[in-house]
This record gives sequence, C-alpha cells and structure tokens, in this order.
Amino acid sequence: MTSARPSAALQPPADTRRIGRIRSETISTAAIFALAIILILASRFVSPALGSWDQVDTIITLASFLIVVAFGQGLVILVGGLDLSIASMITLGGVLATTWNSSFGSEWVVIPAVLILCACIGALNAVGVIWLSIPPFIMTMAMGIIVASAALGYTSGTPRGASPEAFLALMKGSVGPVSAVLIFVVIFALLARALQSATAFGRRLYAVGANREAARIAGVATWRPIMAAYAISAVCAGFAGMMLVGYANGATLRMGDSYLLPSIASVVIGGSSILGGRGSFAATVGGAILLTTLGTVISALGMDQGWRTVIEGAIIVGALLLLREDLIARLRNRSAG
Amino acid sequence: MTTLRKLLTTTCVAAGALASAFTIGMGSASADEPKKFKIFLSLSYSGNAWQSEAANIVKALAQTPPYDQMVELKEVISGTDPQGQIAAYESMIDAKADGVISFPISSTALNRTVKNGCEKGVLFFMYDATVTEPCAYNVSYITAGFGENTAQALVNALDGKGKIFLSRGVPGNSVDKRHTDGAMHIFKKYPGIQVVAEYYSFWDDRTTQQETAKALAAHPDVDGIWAQAGEFGAIQALRDKGTRLVPMTGENSNGFRLALADPEAQKNGLKGVSAGSPPATAGYAFKLMMEILTKKRDLKAMNIQYPLPWVPADKVTLCKGDTFEDGCNAFPDGKVPSSFVTEVFSPEFLPELSLKSALDGAPTPGKTIQPLPAEVVKAPNEPGINCQKCDPPADLYKLTKIEPTVKP
Repeated sequence: MTSARPSAALQPPADTRRIGRIRSETISTAAIFALAIILILASRFVSPALGSWDQVDTIITLASFLIVVAFGQGLVILVGGLDLSIASMITLGGVLATTWNSSFGSEWVVIPAVLILCACIGALNAVGVIWLSIPPFIMTMAMGIIVASAALGYTSGTPRGASPEAFLALMKGSVGPVSAVLIFVVIFALLARALQSATAFGRRLYAVGANREAARIAGVATWRPIMAAYAISAVCAGFAGMMLVGYANGATLRMGDSYLLPSIASVVIGGSSILGGRGSFAATVGGAILLTTLGTVISALGMDQGWRTVIEGAIIVGALLLLREDLIARLRNRSAG
Repeated sequence: MTTLRKLLTTTCVAAGALASAFTIGMGSASADEPKKFKIFLSLSYSGNAWQSEAANIVKALAQTPPYDQMVELKEVISGTDPQGQIAAYESMIDAKADGVISFPISSTALNRTVKNGCEKGVLFFMYDATVTEPCAYNVSYITAGFGENTAQALVNALDGKGKIFLSRGVPGNSVDKRHTDGAMHIFKKYPGIQVVAEYYSFWDDRTTQQETAKALAAHPDVDGIWAQAGEFGAIQALRDKGTRLVPMTGENSNGFRLALADPEAQKNGLKGVSAGSPPATAGYAFKLMMEILTKKRDLKAMNIQYPLPWVPADKVTLCKGDTFEDGCNAFPDGKVPSSFVTEVFSPEFLPELSLKSALDGAPTPGKTIQPLPAEVVKAPNEPGINCQKCDPPADLYKLTKIEPTVKP
C-alpha cells in the first residue's frame, strides 16, 4: 500500500519541461539576491556608512528570524495551506523558553520540550485542516488566538525569566570574525533547501500541493506531508521565538506580530505560488533578505513613516512584477533565440 | 461554495458563542449580597508590562481593605480597535456601572459613548491616555512635559551639538505626537543638534532594539538617543555593536535605570535621565474615583495632572525591599524583568502597594487604603488630548524639571 513509488509516478520519462522550470527558478532566485545586493550597494548614496560589512551583518541578523519562520510558512503554502498561527507560535516559543528556563533548570531539556509542544500544536492545525475540513486560514487563525490567549493567561501579562544560554550564544556570539548567526543561517538554509528540494519527503510536499487528488491516486498518503508541513511550521516559529529571545534577552507577548505578513511576503516574493505546489526555499531566503534590506535602507532615508511605508509597498509590488516567471522565461527565450 | 458556507457558519457560531459569553459575564450581578460599587476596569489591549502593571495595581487596590468589602471589580479587555472599547463601555453602562476606570484607545472616538454614560450617572476615569469629552476625568502625566524636559536633558548632556536618533511611539497616536512636538521644540533651538534618524518603536523593547539596529547601520557615529518607552532596546542595540554607549533619555524600565546607575555603562558613555509614563497613574485614578463614590471628596470632572517621574543617573537608588522606600526607585537585577516599568509605586499616593501587587494584582498583607492628599493638580489644556475646542497655554513647552546648561 505504502510501497508505491511516488517519485516514479511524478517524473514521466519524456518530460523535459522540468529543466526549463528549474532554470527559470534559478534565474529568479539569482535575480532576487542580485536585487538585494544592488539595494545594499545603492544605499551608500543614502548614508556613506551603509553598504559596509557591518550593515550586511545587521541585515543577516535581523533577517534570520524571518528566514526561519518563512521556511515553515513556505512548506505550509507549498501544500496549499496558510499558517496564520505563526505570530502566536513565535510568542509561545519565546515565552516558554524564558519562563521554563528559569524554573526547570537545564535548557537542554527545556528547548526540546518547547519544540515538541510546538510540533504538537502544529499537528493539531493539520488535524483541523485535513479531517475537519476547516479552511487553513480559519483553523490557524483560531489556533493563533487560542495560543496567544494561553500565553497571556500563563504569564498574567508579564513574561519573566531570561534567555537560554544557547540562544544568547547563537545571537550574540561569533566564530572568529564571523558572527554565529550568519553561520547558522547558511547551515539552516542549506539543510532546509535540501529537505524541501532533494528528498522524497520534499517531492511529496510538491505533489500534494500541486494536486492532492493526483498525489493520492499516485499512492501518497496525503495527510502525512500536510501534517508534517504544519508541524514543521510551528516548530520553526517556536525556534524563531527563542532566537528573538536570545537577541533581546527576554520575551514579550506581542513579539511575533511583526513576522506574520512578512513571512508570507518572503515566500511569495521568492516566486512561490500562493496556491501551493510551486516554489523554492533559496528564493524565499532571498525574499526575506530583500525585505529586511529594504526596511534597513528605508529607515535610513529619514522620511515620514507614511512615505516610508508607501515606498516599501511599491518596491515589493515592483519586485513581484519583475520576478514573474513568464517575464523571466520570455527574456531567456529572447537571449536564446 | 461549500467552503464559503462552512466559513460563514464557523464565523457565526464563534461570534454567537462569544456574544453569549460576554452577556453572561456582564449580567451576573450579585443580587443578594450587600450593595457594592460596581466598577469596571476597561483596557484596550493587554500584553505589555506597562498595561498589565497598571491593571494589576487597580486590582490590588480593589482587594485592599476596606475596598475589598465595597468594590466589585470586573476587567474587560477589548482589543486595539476603538469600536471594541465603545461596545465594552456600552455594555458597562447597560450593566449599571457606578464607575469605569479605563485606558482609552482613542482620545476622540469614545466621546459619544462616554457622554452617554455620564448622563446615566457613570463616573469615567481615564488613566494615562485621555479623552477630549469634558464629562470624563482624565488623570495623566502627558501634560507634564516629558518631551521637552528629556530633550533639554539630552541637549545638556551633548553640550548642544551632535547627531541624534528619535525613537518614537505609535504612528498617529496623540501621546507620541505631544511628546515629539515638545522634544522638537527644544531640539530646533539648537542648530548643532541634528536628527539623523527618526523611527517608530511602538513603545516596545524588541521593536526599539531592531529599529535602533537599523538606524545604527546607517549612522554608527550617533552621539545621542532620545527615546520614548522601549528605551532599554536601544541600549541593547548599542551593546550589540560593541561597548560604546551614548547619552540617552528614555522612560521608566528597570533595565534602563540599572544601566544608568551602572559605573561600567557610565564609563562607556551612557548618561541621561529616566522619565515618562508611570503605571501608578491608574492606582491614583482609581483611588480618586473611590473617594468621590464614597463621598469623601467632592470633585467635578476635570483634567488632572500626575507628576512626571524624573530620575537622572545619579539619583537611581536600588530598593532593598518590595516597594519604593527611602527614596529608592529601581529593583536589583533578577528581581523583575528588564522591561518592568518601575514607576508603579508612589510613597505619596499609593503606600498600600508592593511588588506583588504590580506583578500579580495581589493586595499587600496588613495594608489598608490610605487617603490621598487633598489637593489635585489641574492639567493645562492640550487641544486634541484633553479638550476639543480650546487653546493651549502660551508656555505649553515650559521646562519644569531641568534648566538649559547650553545656550542655543
């Protein structure tokens, strides 16, 4: 029953379109990173101190939370869902890491315990979506409200305690001249990309997202990848919450709020289909870095908040239009012909 | 189509459940107990240290004898939308409240509902934030000149010249605007002061840290920071970049006060002043309202000014016990989180409270309610903040806490 080979079913031998699609994905990923780099270099015109290694370091640190969250969000979007509970899950991860850390002793027990709890909550989201047929955004929104309220009740408004040492080391430490978080981001991105694009599990995610019915007929137990995607998303959000706690050495109850929409935006700017079945994590990382860079540069422009947000929105729409696959494909064809 | 129908059903069921829970909660007035004052504590949002401390001290006071026998206190948290708080106020008026003590989310949107409540005999006491409806009592430090006084302190510390950041509050908020207007009134007098970055930090430590980090990437040579609440995040952002600190002013977080008093931080360049919004205002407002309800005080609705806390670095003193005693004004590291807002206490107005009251909303054993000083300080008019069609006094931005040591 489960011994069916989905990969064989998904890759008919004569299909050569895949190569073309991979190329255009690579091009759009490269384009998004190029855009971020151009933005960093161009920001020298805004302030001479920008465009330095220091700024890159700041951007990577600020983007690291978003990259981790966006990986989980990307998987959920890939299987045709949407995870609105991540803001609350970030808060939960941060709040539990600080409060349990000061009351239960060893952080090597606390950190896995928090992540397992997050995975269970994520799996509950999937239960609602798969078997109760609740639309993903309602299910995850409701879960988000429940989790946020539980965190509020649990802390009675004031989260206490300090960050686990491991996350202080991750966010503040460095290995030689390179900051630890930069190394972490590179390793995380490579592992996450491998999981999404080079494993059977990853291919099942694409299959389920592209056409759940077809995947089922091809022998994929469709509930498994979906449940895994939601669980991973919750774990990523909880982990990002702990990173934030390491960065600021403390938790607040609204610390996740500013990551919900950017996590979706990173995925979409990265060229993933919001309807599922298509996307690459490398491009999502690019999207997250681009968004963070944009925030840094615009904050240095010193204009009114209203205009800042208008420009930010306009550049995001512009980037989305520029990076559309059909546009890139047309360019490629022209240069080929 | 099915999805849409399901969605609608789910939403309706959820809304129905919420509504009925709300009505039950509101309607459960005790009929057989002796008459108690029915007081509602209306918060717009909760979840930051300031809001929960303010709510906790009201709860603690309501359980302190003799108020524990006289008050039935209900807390309602209505969210960040004015319409949520309007609905909450209306339910309270319908439930025949004697008084509503509230942190109002908007200075104008609630006016009509407040007026309606006043006409039905409900006392409205607003703490910290204000409404422009004249039948409500506003109790706030806002008019006490946080912006201009801290700005002058920063100018003094910088000797009148340097590049500075402004770490502001919530965009479009009348309190943020008042503070920033006051500060800019001072900064504009000094051509040597250059505002190189201005960002909104939403009165939150985490956001302040991230926004300051962004600004530091563009201006690593900053000379000073003028911050509203969330100031401890700015210190953390500076520390992320190295050991150099700069003069800065901010509000009342315990972390900031400890840093101001830390000799190591002073050696690295930190100096400044801690001032700003005290959660103690809520307790003062509650006690005033109770004195009026119990006929111990006769006071018409007015705008009341709560004194501005003002603690320069050399005045930071650590508390040995659980309250502000012997002039202390900060708690040792580890006793409270760094984001804990220290100004929950006031030996003059709130001697009944201890740390437990602020953190857990519990009364202090053995304490009873003490009367407030007879005199209340009338707040000056501030159009859009505490009155609608009114003129501000000519000396609106007059310095009250500090003298300029540098000539403009």
